Amino acid sequence: MHLLLFNIIDQIRSLGWGGAFELLRNGIVLGSLYSLIALGYTMIYGILKLLNFAHGDVYMVGAFLGFGVLTAFGGALNPGIGLVPLIIIMFAVAMLGSGVLGVGIERFAYRPLRNAPRIAPLIAALGVSFFLENSAQLMTNGFQYNYDAFQLGGKNGNFGPLFDPVFTVAGNPVTVVQVLVVGSAVTLMAALIFLVSRTRLGKAMRATAFDQEAASMMGIDTDRVISSTFFIASVLAGAAGVMYGLYIGTTFYFMGFLAGLKAFTAAVVGGIGSIVGAMVAGVLVGLIESYAIGYVGGQWSDIVVFGILILFMIVRPTGLFGAQAIQKV
Amino acid sequence: MLKKVGAVAAFAALASVLVATTAWGSAKAPARASAAAAKTIKCGKTVTIGIAYPATGPAASLGAPQFDWASYAKKRWNKSHKLKIKLVVGDTKLGDSPGLAVPVAHSFGSNGKMLAVVGPAGSQEVQDSIGIYKKAGLVAVSGSATRIFLTRAKTGNPRETPKGYFFRTVPNDGQQGDAVASWIHNKLKFKHVYIIDDEEAYSQGLANQVAADLAKFGVTAGRNHISQQQQDFSSVVTAIPANTQLVYIPWQLPGQAQTFYNQLHAAGRHAKIMGSDGTDAPGTFQPNGNGYVSGFPVDFTSSVLKSFMKAHNHQPETFGIPSYTATLVAATAISKACKAGHGKTTRAAVRKRVPKVKLSAKAGLLGFGIQFLNKNKATYQGPGDMGGTANFAIYQITSGGSYKRVG
Amino acid sequence: MSEAPGTPGVTPPPGDPTESRIGVDSWVAQAEGRRARRRGPARLLARGWEWSPDPVKLLLFVGLASTLPFWLNEGDLFNFGLFTLLYVALALGLNVVVGFAGLLDLGYVAFFGIGAYTYALLSSSHYGIHWPAEATIPISMAVAALAGLILGSASRRLLGDYLAIVTLFFLQAFAAFTNTANPTVHGVGLTGGPNGIANLDPLTFFGYKLNSTKQQYFFLVIVVAVVAAALHFINQSRTGRAFRALREDPLAAEVMSIPVNRLKLLAFVLGAAIAGLCGTIFAASFTAVTAGSFGVPLLILLYAIIILGGLGSIAGVILGGFVINISSQFLAPQNDHPDVKRWLFYGTIVLIVALMKPWYRAVLVLAATIAFGYAVHAIVSATTVATWTTGAPVAAGSRSIRDGIQGWVVMPHATATGPHVNFNTCLYIGLVVAAVTVRSLSGWWRLAALVPTLYLTAMVWENILAQNPSVTALILFGAMLIALMTVRPQGLLGTARVEIV
Repeated sequence: MHLLLFNIIDQIRSLGWGGAFELLRNGIVLGSLYSLIALGYTMIYGILKLLNFAHGDVYMVGAFLGFGVLTAFGGALNPGIGLVPLIIIMFAVAMLGSGVLGVGIERFAYRPLRNAPRIAPLIAALGVSFFLENSAQLMTNGFQYNYDAFQLGGKNGNFGPLFDPVFTVAGNPVTVVQVLVVGSAVTLMAALIFLVSRTRLGKAMRATAFDQEAASMMGIDTDRVISSTFFIASVLAGAAGVMYGLYIGTTFYFMGFLAGLKAFTAAVVGGIGSIVGAMVAGVLVGLIESYAIGYVGGQWSDIVVFGILILFMIVRPTGLFGAQAIQKV
Repeated sequence: MLKKVGAVAAFAALASVLVATTAWGSAKAPARASAAAAKTIKCGKTVTIGIAYPATGPAASLGAPQFDWASYAKKRWNKSHKLKIKLVVGDTKLGDSPGLAVPVAHSFGSNGKMLAVVGPAGSQEVQDSIGIYKKAGLVAVSGSATRIFLTRAKTGNPRETPKGYFFRTVPNDGQQGDAVASWIHNKLKFKHVYIIDDEEAYSQGLANQVAADLAKFGVTAGRNHISQQQQDFSSVVTAIPANTQLVYIPWQLPGQAQTFYNQLHAAGRHAKIMGSDGTDAPGTFQPNGNGYVSGFPVDFTSSVLKSFMKAHNHQPETFGIPSYTATLVAATAISKACKAGHGKTTRAAVRKRVPKVKLSAKAGLLGFGIQFLNKNKATYQGPGDMGGTANFAIYQITSGGSYKRVG
Repeated sequence: MSEAPGTPGVTPPPGDPTESRIGVDSWVAQAEGRRARRRGPARLLARGWEWSPDPVKLLLFVGLASTLPFWLNEGDLFNFGLFTLLYVALALGLNVVVGFAGLLDLGYVAFFGIGAYTYALLSSSHYGIHWPAEATIPISMAVAALAGLILGSASRRLLGDYLAIVTLFFLQAFAAFTNTANPTVHGVGLTGGPNGIANLDPLTFFGYKLNSTKQQYFFLVIVVAVVAAALHFINQSRTGRAFRALREDPLAAEVMSIPVNRLKLLAFVLGAAIAGLCGTIFAASFTAVTAGSFGVPLLILLYAIIILGGLGSIAGVILGGFVINISSQFLAPQNDHPDVKRWLFYGTIVLIVALMKPWYRAVLVLAATIAFGYAVHAIVSATTVATWTTGAPVAAGSRSIRDGIQGWVVMPHATATGPHVNFNTCLYIGLVVAAVTVRSLSGWWRLAALVPTLYLTAMVWENILAQNPSVTALILFGAMLIALMTVRPQGLLGTARVEIV
């Protein structure tokens, strides 16, 4: 234990400020992906009180849809159309496809259970997760698929414009794709906040989340509102899938599990049901992970992440932004 | 209350009956175990070989090439031989919870037609299940379990498998580690090396071996770990010291290795990168001009390899080739045993045939011949390991993306 | 767990819209009628089950379970018998925490792991300690229970999903600790890292070794019987009633001066101790522990068992364990019975269709499907290149079945480079879309859509699923969970709980 502590201090000193910045950058980029997925968990929980275990797998499907579009246009090494339209089409197809998938899941797996005991949709969610994950394995034969995102738009297998530095901090570059990921995550989140707080649909969503029965009595078509919530949540997950593909470069059938777990964690730590909480906690989880890997070492990173989170939950059981739970009598 | 007492009494009576039956079970058990090995099995037209590999779970992407290659061996064998072979799949779910290497071994053991087993894939799976294979009299020929002590006894480390039950068609970690470390030290003359393992048994074993060998040469290597489910390595890249000349990544997933290389490169690092046989996949792992791998000295111009690639629509997953070889070893041993027994054989007879099997370098595809009984002291590793010229080759990945053998 | 405000807690009757909603007065009034509606052997069975006293049920289970070794060989006994009972015992423990006390504990598998590792450290050459089972079993149980106490007391303030997440972290932290941290103690890695600890001693009671699968199986039968009986008594006692009160409404329970915190701890400790016991048996009969063995997939399986059987029902958990493990073992590729798998698959489909009312519809659909298949096969083989119908079914047992299938199902010849590269993917997605379409149609349209869907199912089975048995098992498992929840959310033997709105 003693030794470990010295090692950490050594590592912090040897990486210096440049390393600290790099870890900050990595944490924020990864964290914004977690945030996008966490939003889905938190929105669905808010409206249905359901932990949608299949959400991580929707994200995985989104990444594969993006990969499908990329392949259909000739692959990353010599795409048939320009870079910007290609990326836009990838996002559009993946987001729309995931959205439809999310609505389908809700319609056929969860809606019949609207009035069942709470554990029933939870188990159905596990079933959907199993189904999607293993179907993906069946389709992809278990291989990792390479986006070749690093070479996207580049000549002769060199790095493409996505990995050009936009600006540097103390000699550490921040690349186009990192700005793209964080930028589009922030944009999507801003759009979501606008949608929830300023539009009619958002109002209906909030009303349904607050009291479904009362909302339906007020003439709100709650089924439609719930479908829309699943659509929006899944669209965000699909977008995160494509961003992941562009930033990391690979996609495979098992990727939804760990990302889903981390995002789920973020959703709970942020105070489940709270949209701002999910965003902040997503970035927080990304940062803790990044610094734990950089300073403590890869083998301890999961223990550090989950250990910190256990302590946090015990000290503040309702999460960062969660309201004090009021128990009904 | 009376009801409760009655229940407890009924229960106690039952328990005592069960204990008695248990005792009866024990008296009979040992006789059965050896009987399984000696039981006569008719060869007929088709003989059965089990293949234990991870078909699902987190390591499924490793299992897939192993199964593809074993099936390919079956296809080729059945085209040219009268005695056909049939593969029965066992999904060991390596790395999943719970791992199923032991249940698969039980299934194979009680399959009355089974004569030999290809696999298990992981060294820890071999270690966990070899006792059950021994009980059933089955021989296991693995194409990927590389831990040294499975076959070789060293001071303080007992041999981990019973002699004559476990064989492998891959050189062990010791051979690979020595080859890699001496290449780094003697040829590349690097002084600053960083080793990252992927936290499972294969990778940790190899990483430890290389670290120990490098330490003997006076090279101290930094060390870090990633997990097989991890894809974002940017923070691991940050943790690598700036003066590092080479990063050694003995991982199982070539896709992960390629991602790591890209992220290393994108962060502006210029260290070379070196992979192992797990990442020896020319289609996926392409650190062009900046990388090395240690892999099997496969002849890429071989027509067999080319037709495999044609049939599978992707690059040769060389990680699976030893499973092809292992399948051929098992099939050869069975066909010889069947011939000797005039259409009948036993598991014990097949087991005793395996060490005598010899395959030429061309037939085995691996670039070296298969022979288990080589007693040449310089190269012989132990019973179950290949003697002869079995060793790893070092490939350099050229800037054009092709693998060029350099050592 | 507190019910969320606004979630109506009543279950609509599955399928039949004429029945009244569970829990409302007319539903209660119809109870006798519903019971009387069952006829023939089903009624006898149901009545017999209801009327037989609990010791008889236990004896029935033990009696049936004890016959297994006499007609299964060693390997099948391990996979079908030992494994099932291990799952049953584990699920019984989980049932205490989730079913009795209503605490959503996602860290349960960690206690199983702690028990297994404790046994491995105390009965192997890892540290050269070879203690007998009469010492190691109590120690493992105590260590696991202590861990349960610690986790329970740390998280006793947490409610529902927050408790779930903290316990899940605990499981993840445990997995990371055993697999990657592996601290060095006395010169040896404590948990053996990814290699785990192998060559464990068999369970040894007072010098008597349980070497064979048969002995271990009988021991496990005793363990399951003892655990089930003990839990039954607990469930019937004051404590059991207190657990139920806690599950239904913690706040009301607290008002009734039930010691809620102590009960929660008790549930955790009891569950953890049972898990620890299972851990020792698991470690001893597998003769090895490996870090990956204690993770989320196993947890999901255990939850599936207790949900399938019916939360809180001991008999249900036992039944659930049998159904889940035996069905997944049949689908597992290493159990090499191709015809059995095929019959199981087609049999289930025919059975589901046959449940349709009135009966002539079922006959119509099946006949139409068969005719449809031959028509499609004829058209395809007449109009396209020959390779579309020349594929052979994998692993078909007998010749007649093989020929029958080849003449009915369209099976492209397997080449990876031909025009069929994406055929399987399209086929599979097509089936999912078709199934969803059937689900959303009604009346005659549904029947009409059912015919091609059934044929598509057969095509997918023969072309894709039968060739990838291990993945198939998991896909079918997922689909089964969804279907079961839609049809019978309270589980097989569970009673539909009337939740207060």
